[in-house]
Amino acid sequence: MVAGAWICLFAPLAGSLAITLAGQTISRRMAGWISTLTTFVAFGGALVAFFGTWAEDPDQRENLSTAYTWLAAGDFDVGFQILVDPLSTVMMLVVSGVGGLIVWYSMGYMAGDDEERRYFAYMSLFVFSMLLLVEAGNFLLLLVGWGLVGLASYLLIGFWHSRPEAVAAAKKAFVMNAVGDATFALGIVLLVWQAGTLEFFGVFDQADSLSPTMVNLVALGLLGGAVAKSAQVPLHTWLPDAMEGPTPVSALIHAATMVTAGVYLLVRAHPIFEAAPDIQHLAAVLGTVTLLLAGLVALVQWDIKRVIAYSTMSQIGYMFMAAGLGAYGFAIFHLMTHAFFKALLFMAAGVVIHHLGGEQDMRRMGGLKSVLPRTHIAFLVGTLALVGIPPFAGFWSKDAILGSALATGGALGWTLYIAGLVGALLTGAYAFRLYYAVFRGKQAEVEHVPYGPEASHPPTTHAEGPLSMLVPVGILTVLSTVGGLVYIPGVWQPFTDWVGQTAEALVEPTVAEDYLTSAFAVTFGLVGLYLARRAFSAGRQLVTRPDAWRVLEHKLYFDELYDALFFRPAVALSLALRRDVEEPLIERSMDEIGSGTIQVGGEVARVQSGLLRTYALTIAVAVAVLVVVFVAVR
Amino acid sequence: MLTTALILLPVAGALVVAAFPLPRTATAGLAFLVALMEVGLWIVAASRFDFDDGGLQLGTSREWVESLGISYSVGFYGFSLWLTGATVVVSAAAIGYALWIGRDRPRAYYALMLLLTGAVVATFAAQDLLLFYVSFEAMLIPLYVLVGVWGGARRMAATLTFVVYTMAGSLLMLAAVVAFGVTQGTFSLVDSGTSDNVWIFLGFAIAFAIKAPLFPFHGWLPLSYREAPVEVSAVLSGIVSKTAIYGFLRIAIPKFPEPADDLAVLVLVLAGAGLVYGSLLAFRAADLRGIVAYSSMAQMGLITLGIFAFDDLGLDGAVLQSVAHALVSASMFLLVGMVERRCGTGELDALGGMARGRPVLATVLLTTGIIALAVPGSATFAGEFLIMAGVYDQGWGYAAIVALGIVLAAMYVLRLISAALHVRPGSAVRDEALDLRPGELALVLPMILVLLVLSAWPALVSQSSFPGDRAARAVAKNYAASGGRAFIGSDLIFVIHPAVGARPAGPHP
Repeated sequence: MVAGAWICLFAPLAGSLAITLAGQTISRRMAGWISTLTTFVAFGGALVAFFGTWAEDPDQRENLSTAYTWLAAGDFDVGFQILVDPLSTVMMLVVSGVGGLIVWYSMGYMAGDDEERRYFAYMSLFVFSMLLLVEAGNFLLLLVGWGLVGLASYLLIGFWHSRPEAVAAAKKAFVMNAVGDATFALGIVLLVWQAGTLEFFGVFDQADSLSPTMVNLVALGLLGGAVAKSAQVPLHTWLPDAMEGPTPVSALIHAATMVTAGVYLLVRAHPIFEAAPDIQHLAAVLGTVTLLLAGLVALVQWDIKRVIAYSTMSQIGYMFMAAGLGAYGFAIFHLMTHAFFKALLFMAAGVVIHHLGGEQDMRRMGGLKSVLPRTHIAFLVGTLALVGIPPFAGFWSKDAILGSALATGGALGWTLYIAGLVGALLTGAYAFRLYYAVFRGKQAEVEHVPYGPEASHPPTTHAEGPLSMLVPVGILTVLSTVGGLVYIPGVWQPFTDWVGQTAEALVEPTVAEDYLTSAFAVTFGLVGLYLARRAFSAGRQLVTRPDAWRVLEHKLYFDELYDALFFRPAVALSLALRRDVEEPLIERSMDEIGSGTIQVGGEVARVQSGLLRTYALTIAVAVAVLVVVFVAVR
Repeated sequence: MLTTALILLPVAGALVVAAFPLPRTATAGLAFLVALMEVGLWIVAASRFDFDDGGLQLGTSREWVESLGISYSVGFYGFSLWLTGATVVVSAAAIGYALWIGRDRPRAYYALMLLLTGAVVATFAAQDLLLFYVSFEAMLIPLYVLVGVWGGARRMAATLTFVVYTMAGSLLMLAAVVAFGVTQGTFSLVDSGTSDNVWIFLGFAIAFAIKAPLFPFHGWLPLSYREAPVEVSAVLSGIVSKTAIYGFLRIAIPKFPEPADDLAVLVLVLAGAGLVYGSLLAFRAADLRGIVAYSSMAQMGLITLGIFAFDDLGLDGAVLQSVAHALVSASMFLLVGMVERRCGTGELDALGGMARGRPVLATVLLTTGIIALAVPGSATFAGEFLIMAGVYDQGWGYAAIVALGIVLAAMYVLRLISAALHVRPGSAVRDEALDLRPGELALVLPMILVLLVLSAWPALVSQSSFPGDRAARAVAKNYAASGGRAFIGSDLIFVIHPAVGARPAGPHP
C-alpha cells in the first residue's frame, strides 16, 4: 500500500528525467508515450494505495512512511515522508487519473509543436510535484511540492516563450505565487518554534494548546499560500493571464489540480484552522467574494479560455466556502467533480480552438454544433455539470456546499448561502453565454487571422482531433455525467464518509436542507441559462450598461491597482536607490579616483603611486593607533 | 598532513606553472589538472573526515615563532570542510573556463589563479590568527592583478576601488589580530580564550563585512564584479566572499561572544538592509553581471542573518546556504560569460530569444536560475528556510525580511532568465550564436549536479556542519533554562549567561 504511494510519486519523476536525459535520441511521440504511461503507472500506484487503505481497519488508515531525513539542523529535522490516508489517496487518484487523461490528450493536441519533448518533460515534472504536494507527510515537504507545482506552472504558462504575453504571464504567476510561498513559509516557521515539529500529526496534536495569536498567525500564513495558489481574491489576477499556456496545461494545472491545492491545504490543515475559527471564516468569505467577482467578470470576457478560467476561480470559491465552513468532505467532493467537468470543458475548448486554427475569440465562433457534434456533446455535458443541473456531477457537489452554508445558519451562513445562490445564477448565465456563442447560431467565417497564443497552429485535418484526444474527452464526459453519484443525500454518501475519516465535517446539512437548496440552486442556474438564451436570441450581451461593462472588462481594475501599489513603487524604489544612494554615495567616490587616474594619462603612475604611498603611510599610522586603542579601551 | 597538502598543492602548482615556459595550452592544461587533483584531494580528505565529530580534524600544528606564540596550525571543522569543498570545485570550474576561452599571458594568469585557490583553502584551514591573516591577505594580491591586468575596460578603476576597500579592511583586521594576540598571549585559535573587547570585535567584523560584502561596505562590489574576468568574478562572489563567513563563524563570534551578542542587532539590521537593498538593485540592473553581482550581495546579507541568529537553525542554514550560493553564483557568472562571449554584451536590452535553437543553454541557465531563486525543494530553499526559521528567534521582523527576499529573488532572477532566453532575439543575438559547446557544459554541469544532489538531500551539509550540536544541546539547554542564551557549534560552543558572562562550554563531550 505504501509502496503503491511511493511508485505513484516517483513514476512521473522518472518519466520527466527519462525524457530530459534522452533528449533528441527519442522521437517526440515517444516522449509523449513515456509521459502518458508513467502518469498511468502513477494512477496504478494510487489505486494500490487507495484499495490498500480501504482494506485496512478503519482506525489504521493513516500510514506515514519516511524515506530519509531531508533537512536537519540541531534537533530539528524534517523527513522525506509521505502520508497515505483517506484524503491523500483520493487526491492521488484525482491527480494521477485526470492527469493521465490530460497528458494523453496532449499527445494529440501538441503533435507538430517544435518542442514537444520539453513539453512532456515539464508535464511529468508537474504531475510529480502535484503528487508530492498531496502525499507529503509534513508541512515542509508540502511546501516543496507547493513550490514545485508553481515552478512547473511557470514553465508551462511560458511554454511558447517567443510570445511576450506568455513570458509576462508566466512571471506574474510565479511572483504572485512566491508571495503565497513566502507567507506559507512564515507560517510554518512559527510552527517550528511553537510546535517543534512540522509533521502533520505532531502539529495537529498541539493545535489546541498553541496560543490564539500564534495559531491565528500560522493559519493566516497558510491561508496566504492557499489564496495565491488557488487564485482567490486578493491574489487572483495571475490565473486569467495563465491562459497563455497550451490548453491541456490550462486543463491540468489551471483547472483540475494545481489551483485546487489551496482547498486541499485548508482541508489537510483543518485542525489548525479549527483552532483559528476567524481565519477559517475568512477563507470562506474570500472564497465567496471570489465566486461572485469571477462570475461577474466571466460575463464580459471574449476569450473562450478566459471565460473558463474565471469560471474556475469562481468554482474554487465554492470550495473555499465549504472548507471555510468546515464542510471538508464537500470541498474535496467538489474539487473532484470540478476536476472532471472543468478539465472536460478545457479539453473540448481545445478541440474547438484546434479546429479553428488557433482562434480563441468567441465572437468569431458559432454554429459549431453541426461541425463538431461529439465535442458539442462533451462541452454541453461539461456546461450542465458546471451549472449544476441534475444529474450531472456538479449538481451533487455544489448543492451540498450550499446546503452546508444553510445548515451553518447565522449571519455568516445566510450571507454565504445567498451569495452562493447568486453565484449559481451567474454560473448559468456565463456558461451558457459561452455555449451559445460557440456552438449555436450562425457558423463563423473561417477567413481571418486567428487571435490567441495558438494562432500559429495549422487547422487540424481531423475534424475533432485524433483518438488520443477523443478518448480522454469521452472518458471525462462520462465522469462528468455520473461522477457525482457517490453522494446522494439520504441514500448514500460513501465519498464524504471516506474523506471524513481524515477531516471530520463541522457541519452537515440535513436531507431536507439539501434538497431544498437543490431546488433553489437549480432554479437559479436555470434562470441564468434563460437569461443567456434570451440575450443570445436577441443578439445582445448580458451586461448592457456600458459603464458596468467597462468596469468588468477591466476585471474591476485589480491589475491596475496592483501595478500602482506594488510593481511601480518597487521599480521606482530600486531606481531611486540606484540614482540617489548607490551611484552618488557608494560608486562615485571611488569612481572619481579611478576615472581621474585614467584620464590624466602621463600622470597616471605618479598620481596612483602617490595615492598608494600616502595610503600606505596612513595605514601604518592607523594600525598603530588602532592597536593601542583596542588594547587600551577595555 | 592532508590539510597541508590541500594548501600546498595549488601553491606548488602555481610555482611550476610560473616557472616552466610551456606552450599556452599546456600551461592551462597543467593548471586545470592541478585544480582537478585538488578536488580529488578534497574528496580523499572528506572520506577520512568523521562528520559526526564536532571537533577539529585533519589537524597539523607546528611552532612557527615560538616567542610570539605564532604557530602553523591548520585543520578542519565540518563547516569549514564543506566551504573548502565548494572552493575547490568552483576554482576548478573557473580555471577550466579560462582554459576553454584561452587567457593571455597564461603563465602569470594560471599561477595567480592557483595561488588564489591555495590562499582561500589556507584561510578556511587556518587555526592560528596570524596564519589566517596572512592567508586572507594572500588572496588579495592575486585578485588585484587578475582584475587589473585581465579585466574589462574600466579595470584600473575597479582595481583601485577594490584595493582601497580591502586594504582598509585588512588594516582594521591586522590591528585587531595584533591586539587580540597581545592580550591573549597567543595567536592560536584553538588555545586562545574569549575576549569581551568590543573594539577588537569591530575590527574583525568590519573587515569581514567589507569582504563579504555587507551593506554599506559594498562599494567595491559593482565595479569589481563587472570589470573582472568573468571566471574571477565567479571565484570572488562564489568563494572569496565565503572567507568572511568563515571569519564570522570561527573568529568574530566564538572569540567575542559577548560583543557579538551585544552588537547582533546592528549586524542583523545591516544584513537585512543589504538583503533588500541588493535585491532591489538587482531587480533593475541593466546587465546580466549587475543582476548576479547585486544578488550575490543580497545572498551575503541573508547568510549573515543566519549566522547572527545564534541558533542551530540559523548557523546550519548559513553554512548550507554558503555552499549552495558558492555553486550557484559561480555557475551563474560562468553562464553569463558564455552568453557575453556569444553576444558581445551583457546588456539586457540587447539580449533575448536565446532559448530558440539553443536547448542546452536554455536548460542549464533555467535550472541554475531556478535554484538561484530558491524554489522550494532546492538546496538554496532549504538554506533559506533554516535561516528564516533561525533568525525568527531574534525577531519576527528579520524572518519577514527573509520572506520578502524570496519574493524579490523571484522577480530579479526571472527577469534575468527572460531577458536572456525569451521573447524575440535581441539586437546582439545573432543566429550564428551557438548553443553551449560540450566543453562549456562540462564546466557548469558538475556544479549543477552537486546542487541537485544537495537539493535532494540538504541534510548532508546542514547536519554535519556543526555536528557538536547534538552532543552539546543538553549543556546549552541547561543554560537556556536558567535564563541564559546559548549558541552552539562544534567545539566552538559558547554560552552567554547573564550571571557568569561569556565562557566556553566546549569542547563538547
